[in-house]
Amino acid sequence: MMIRATDDAHAMTDAAGAQRGELVRVRILRQDVPSGESYWERFEVPYERNMNVISILQKIAAQARSQDGRKVAPVAWDCNCLEEVCGSCTMLINGRTRMACSALVDRLLAEDGDEIELRPMSKFPVVRDLVVDRRRLFRGLEKVEAWVPVEGSYDLGPGPRISPDEQEDAYPLSTCMSCGCCLEACPQYTKVEVVRREGESEKDFEARRKAAYDAAFVGAHAVSQAMLFNAHPTGRMIADERMKALTRQGGIQMCGNAQNCVAVCPKGIPLTRSIARAGRAATVWAIKRLFDR
Amino acid sequence: MAHERVLVVGGGLAGLAATMRLAELGIDVDLVSLVPVKRSHSVCAQGGINSVNALTRQQGDSEWKHFDDTVYGGDFLQHQPPVKEMADWGPKIIDLMDRLGVPFNRTSEGFRDQRRFGGTLYKRTAFAGATTGQQLLYALDEQVRRWEVEGKVRKWEFWDFLAPVLDETGRCRGAVCQDLVTMEFRSFPAGAVVLATGGNGLIYGRSTMSMVCTGSAVSRAYQAGAWYGNGEFIQVHPTAIPGADKLRLMSESARGEGGRVWVPRKPQDPRDPRSIPESERSYFLEERYPKYGNLVPRDIATREIFDICTTEGLSVEQDRLCVYLDLTHIPRETLDRKLGGILEIYEKFQGVDPRVTPMKIFPAVHYSMGGLWVDYERSATGGLVEGSFRNQQTSIPGLYAIGECDYQYHGANRLGANSLLSCIFSGLFVAPTLANACGSGSRAAGDESRLFDQEVRRQEERHRSLLARTAGVENPYGLHQELGTLMTRVATVVRRNDQLVPAYDEVCRMAERWTRCAVSDTGNWTNQNVVFTKALGDMFPIAKLILKGALLRDECRGAHFKPAFAMPGLKATDPVGRRQEAEQWCDTFEANTRRWLKSTIATCGPGGDPEISYQDVDTSLIPPRPRLYGLVGADAIEEVWKERSARATDHAGRAAQPAGAGA
Amino acid sequence: MSGESPSFLERHQFLIYRLFSLAGFVPVGAFLIVHLLTNASILAGDGGRTFQSRVDMIHSLGPLLVPVEWAFIFLPMIFHAVVGFVIIANGLPNVGSYPYVSNLRYTLQRATGMIAFAFIIWHIWQLHALGKPFGGGRFDAHEAASSTAAVLGSTAVSILYCIGILSAVFHFANGLWTLGITWGLWTSPAAMRRANVVSIAVGVVLAAAGLGAVAGFRSLPADSASHGHAASAVHETLPPSSP
Ligand SMILES: Cc1cc2nc3c(=O)[nH]c(=O)nc-3n(C[C@H](O)[C@H](O)[C@H](O)COP(=O)(O)OP(=O)(O)OC[C@H]3O[C@@H](n4cnc5c(N)ncnc54)[C@H](O)[C@@H]3O)c2cc1C
Ligand code: SF4
Ligand code: SF4
Ligand code: FES
Repeated sequence: MMIRATDDAHAMTDAAGAQRGELVRVRILRQDVPSGESYWERFEVPYERNMNVISILQKIAAQARSQDGRKVAPVAWDCNCLEEVCGSCTMLINGRTRMACSALVDRLLAEDGDEIELRPMSKFPVVRDLVVDRRRLFRGLEKVEAWVPVEGSYDLGPGPRISPDEQEDAYPLSTCMSCGCCLEACPQYTKVEVVRREGESEKDFEARRKAAYDAAFVGAHAVSQAMLFNAHPTGRMIADERMKALTRQGGIQMCGNAQNCVAVCPKGIPLTRSIARAGRAATVWAIKRLFDR
Repeated sequence: MAHERVLVVGGGLAGLAATMRLAELGIDVDLVSLVPVKRSHSVCAQGGINSVNALTRQQGDSEWKHFDDTVYGGDFLQHQPPVKEMADWGPKIIDLMDRLGVPFNRTSEGFRDQRRFGGTLYKRTAFAGATTGQQLLYALDEQVRRWEVEGKVRKWEFWDFLAPVLDETGRCRGAVCQDLVTMEFRSFPAGAVVLATGGNGLIYGRSTMSMVCTGSAVSRAYQAGAWYGNGEFIQVHPTAIPGADKLRLMSESARGEGGRVWVPRKPQDPRDPRSIPESERSYFLEERYPKYGNLVPRDIATREIFDICTTEGLSVEQDRLCVYLDLTHIPRETLDRKLGGILEIYEKFQGVDPRVTPMKIFPAVHYSMGGLWVDYERSATGGLVEGSFRNQQTSIPGLYAIGECDYQYHGANRLGANSLLSCIFSGLFVAPTLANACGSGSRAAGDESRLFDQEVRRQEERHRSLLARTAGVENPYGLHQELGTLMTRVATVVRRNDQLVPAYDEVCRMAERWTRCAVSDTGNWTNQNVVFTKALGDMFPIAKLILKGALLRDECRGAHFKPAFAMPGLKATDPVGRRQEAEQWCDTFEANTRRWLKSTIATCGPGGDPEISYQDVDTSLIPPRPRLYGLVGADAIEEVWKERSARATDHAGRAAQPAGAGA
Repeated sequence: MSGESPSFLERHQFLIYRLFSLAGFVPVGAFLIVHLLTNASILAGDGGRTFQSRVDMIHSLGPLLVPVEWAFIFLPMIFHAVVGFVIIANGLPNVGSYPYVSNLRYTLQRATGMIAFAFIIWHIWQLHALGKPFGGGRFDAHEAASSTAAVLGSTAVSILYCIGILSAVFHFANGLWTLGITWGLWTSPAAMRRANVVSIAVGVVLAAAGLGAVAGFRSLPADSASHGHAASAVHETLPPSSP
């Protein structure tokens, strides 16, 4: 099945006609500062084999000229590993959220005509161009206490024994790289942008920002991490805390089961399974709490 | 100021391990990183992490053997006490990471599973799927997040370390960093500063490393006076996937499972590789090393692939160096079962199915054994004294270095799966040292702010002058590419003095050209252009010390290979002649050891030019011995060597006796 | 959104959303099933007699009918609708960019919810006693079949009824499936697929019942009125069922 996809892509590439020496056209939605206006700018870069969106952006940075030859500031974007494991380079490529480093130009051209469109993620505040502020995503991990509550790092022997089945269940969840694709595609996850008020102290602003994050949906990514740690023999010891977090405002109840999250996750993490498990755990937990009070 | 904070720069495995432990010891930590720490380069490590374990122990393994394999693999260039201490900590570290929730692969009984890696006979390597580094990093990231919620840790993500701040006595008092979003500068006064900023692969343009691995932080410490050790030792991985943006690692297991390396006999044969008949293919590894075939050790594979493309001009492609790594003769099911994960990487980034079409691969810069010189305090038993001020301290008091950016653990060559261990170990181990360093050394508060103000002003000045260079003629990205190409050509697999000399001059000229680099973005908001240009400027001093170190070291050791100084195997075939040659070989080896078994120490001279000196290596625990893998006449040499070392220990034993009796 | 201290609704968001989900199933969903199946009895082929007897059964509650209606139908439905509108207002459907089946269903769930809501209001006005003061309320419990048939005699009304019924049925059947995820009844992808088949089956049956009933009322023979009368004549001997 894989081969077919590849061969198709090649066939279509030929049809699209992108070849050595030709130019790849790119349209980028830019924004200079967080509160600024956004605007489109077009670029052209020489085509190369196996090119991905990152190499396009690198070339744009090097040439720093728009399609019509004007000198423009290079486009800002995030990346690091270029192997799709660090989660940095999420953006909207031809309208869909994905990782720029694994978005091959050949495939994009085959998919979507002769121009590639890049936009920043829409669910996070823009910092500049394609760079967005994803602190809310990490706040979600704090909210659900996504860690194993160990006593400390002194040598207390090995961890709990874990069956291969449990490991195989947990491992995929543990590959989540906090890229935010699942949040970007989720119709229930909406943008929260908190702007510092005149004269507001750093601390107050910080507190207000976090409160705003906490009030809104945590999203599939954090729900899945909560389930990962609730399944771990030691992590489970604070399962109640996580359930409390997941049933507070912005918790699991906000999910509308659109299942986009699982469809766009670049790591193929079974997010709907996590969400359903969280739903089940919340049901049991809520009923238990009703009778244990 | 009773209450001092520690500044940790870098949030990879090393930085996070240190941060976690510091917080636990009650120290407040500022953690600065170019990228959110969860996105640090450590996520890229796939293979695994080494330590002795219950299973290998019963097969005769021990911490000592792990220690021995590490120094042997590193060609004895590392001081032995820190390595011994690291090997001793191995089992504890894996246990700890296990407790933190790392999803290590399991045996059917629920114990941790292990695999075998290069450079050892034992299955020492614990692993979590094909993403061990990611899993280890996340476990530490989670603990640090927990401490962040507790208020012990404050993260500064998207911040760039610009310079350490030293007082009149030369002690480090903190650092100045810059916010990459607002571009504001900020002083970080600290009881101790520790750099955990990883490798510097970007000096080679493209490598297997991540985009923030510019080595800028280390270079800045070096330019402030810290020594740099063993810079010329750069590990090159034999099989990487060449890409326009990055060279992605192709795991050695592809060859392990039967992958064959070949090139068409006709240079740049344009035919589809599948249609080239066997007779017109050169399986050069199999031809040259019939015994090991495609499974020759890393450095040999690297050199041969490099050689066939450069010297013999048989690269598969015209404008890009690469050879075929062919798996297409292996049934699809076998491939999917054994290599599924890594083949997907190839397919994802090349858009070609390696089960059908041979992969194109080429060696790539992978790891920097060298780094900031750091000290240690040796304990009576040959390990380290925990908590000593000296452990991991650079030549600048109060400034420490851990992880890939120190030079301490891997000598002339790193064993696979040892780096993750050294990173976590050095991070955990340095914490008590840093805790002790806090609050030591009196200071006057007034002075302090003056020191920081001065440094902030200096940095602002540098920044402003860069922004002002709009009319420059040099393009920083183009210049970076040139530097990378040059360094890759002369300072990777094969080094030759007649190339290194002109290359050094060329880098000096590039450094000069850098001063004329124009920045195309003159704004003061998330200006990645100026940040990159700065980092590029800081690559030249390191590039220079790599070249100079390589130029001066006239020998072959570990990753540093100079054909002109290679020690060939034996030629004679008769026993007497062989014996004689073996004796000679061992004499030369001993002479070379006396001359070259020394750490290269670079200090930054005026204009960023390095001054190189050498320092003896502590080999008191395991005496150096030759590495004979694959050498002709290895058995004869080994015999002679064994006799010699037996005699030596005999002597040492007798010499030690009177003292022993007296004690 | 981020008030200094969260409101009652925000503090009890989980409970409210869960009750919302539950209300959609029982009693609202359950009522939908009963209602559609009752209507479908018009297809019994006896000119509406079975239908009338079902109606009578319901109306045998006498004075209790109104409180029962409000407690088990109207109030839960209003609650479900109000919370539903809040949810819809806070979501950002994006099928354009992510044209996946489940996303389409997510969007349709919201669209059909709104259509069904509008339809139900209209339907209540048109047929229920509550509509009387506003010129509606044309259903007569004694003339159940014929009074309904009279309303559905208009083709336009029938088409709108079909749309309304299909919306309600989709909303219920799809909601059944998502409810199972929300409450954690089916968690694995395989279980979700199986549950999906069941939900579709439920939807098909209800849709058939609902549309069938519309057709049934429309094709009631002209003399059905008399049948209705006959039935009600019998009925007359019983105590009056509703005020
Ligand atoms: C592809 C690949 C595979 C590998 N596989 C293995 C393996 O299987 N086993 C093994 O043992 N080793 C492996 N290694 C090596 C190992 O991954 C690295 O040596 C190790 O992760 C380095 O960790 P670190 O903590 O020192 O630094 P890193 O993880 O590189 O982190 C550096 C940190 O410093 C920060 N930083 C850098 N510069 C600055 C600055 N100027 N200002 C502020 N912050 C800065 C960065 O943001 C980052 O947080 C592999 C390496 C590669 C490239
Ligand atoms: S299933 Fe839930 S979390 Fe996932 S995209 Fe849909 S609404 Fe969002
Ligand atoms: S769950 Fe998947 S899409 Fe979401 S953040 Fe993690 S890796 Fe990204
Ligand atoms: S750069 Fe790391 S995921 Fe794309």
